[in-house]
Amino acid sequence: MKYLRTLCLLAVLSFAVSAFTQGGAKPAAPAASPAPQAQQSPQPAPTIASVVDRQVSASEKQIVEAAEAMPEDKYNFSPESLNIQGSDYKGVRTFALEVKHIATANYAFWTGLTGDKMPESIKGPNGPDELKTKAEIVKFLKDSYALGHKAAATLTAENVVEMVPFRQNKAPRLYLATFAVTHANDHYGQMVEYLRMNGIVPPASAGNR
Amino acid sequence: MNHLRTLCLLALFSFAVGALAQGAAKPAATPAAKPAIGDIIDREVSIIEREFVSAAEAMPDDKYSFTPSTLNISGSEYKGVRTFAEEVKHVAATNYELWGPITGDKSPLPADSPNDNGPASLKSKAEIVKYLKDSFALGHKAAKSITAETAVEMVASPFGQGQISKLFLATFPVAHAFDHYGQMVEYLRMNGIIPPASRSNQ
Repeated sequence: MKYLRTLCLLAVLSFAVSAFTQGGAKPAAPAASPAPQAQQSPQPAPTIASVVDRQVSASEKQIVEAAEAMPEDKYNFSPESLNIQGSDYKGVRTFALEVKHIATANYAFWTGLTGDKMPESIKGPNGPDELKTKAEIVKFLKDSYALGHKAAATLTAENVVEMVPFRQNKAPRLYLATFAVTHANDHYGQMVEYLRMNGIVPPASAGNR
Repeated sequence: MNHLRTLCLLALFSFAVGALAQGAAKPAATPAAKPAIGDIIDREVSIIEREFVSAAEAMPDDKYSFTPSTLNISGSEYKGVRTFAEEVKHVAATNYELWGPITGDKSPLPADSPNDNGPASLKSKAEIVKYLKDSFALGHKAAKSITAETAVEMVASPFGQGQISKLFLATFPVAHAFDHYGQMVEYLRMNGIIPPASRSNQ
């Protein structure tokens, strides 16, 4: 059942959280045979940077897997081509454009934190026109998440509320860091549907049936 | 064009951020005052609330049980996916589950919830939308309670064992809801309905 996809996602997050917990302050956990290395190198308590970075990782895993699940010859698929009776899909993005758009937005949000320049090849909201193949597009996506990890690492309890330039305005650092993940999820939800329209169960949902 | 929806969304964000700055700074000479962390998260809750509720309201009552599996799209795989109503109820139920531990409010999920799709007793569009709106009201309460000091405070995880940070619990429901919003966008378009957030882009 599809509803379990979310449980899987949450399980990933729970795993991340349990890593926090192990490191956090629960020495009394009744481990039957405590691992020596766990005793020697306890995980640090979470920080704002580590909490945000886990969210970047969860988003990265889910969206890169979805991007990789679509065959290359379907990258230009758009629901408009299905001519579903009564539907309205005029002008929507292709699968490739969904992926490129997520990566482009990632760069837009996260460069505001890292101080990196936007790649010059980005000319609009759907990323570089010259990226055509699945391999090129997935690399562009992965590179955007590498920037996300770098961005998350810049956050501190002191600077998260600082206003930094964003588009023609300013935005708080915490907003730029977290809303990239949120924005990506919007388009991930659409990619899920594109995959299913092509008979592909999204990897995050596989195993839930 | 659909891609322009995001631009509008970003414009909204910029506006929201501008409002934050304006609200916080009394003298015009004070540039870009720092908002409170709770206010930043609350703006994100407001953004998803606006988009999600408008999408839920855009689907006619008689289409609330729609699922793409009924379209029999050749070669598709939609077995067992949620109906539109279940998408909305699932998001609301998750909102309660994740924001509740921050505020201390108990989830209103009754015993008639066999899974994470919210109360089975909620059937009509009006009931479901109210359940959704109420969950976002809890989200505002949770967001505003977060401070720089409490953001990394750990509370009992609603996922089961262990603990989880308040910052994660406060922000993740927004990201989670946008995932399902993206799916609802497709459900709406399958029924010839342009999502309200995209309408000015046509």
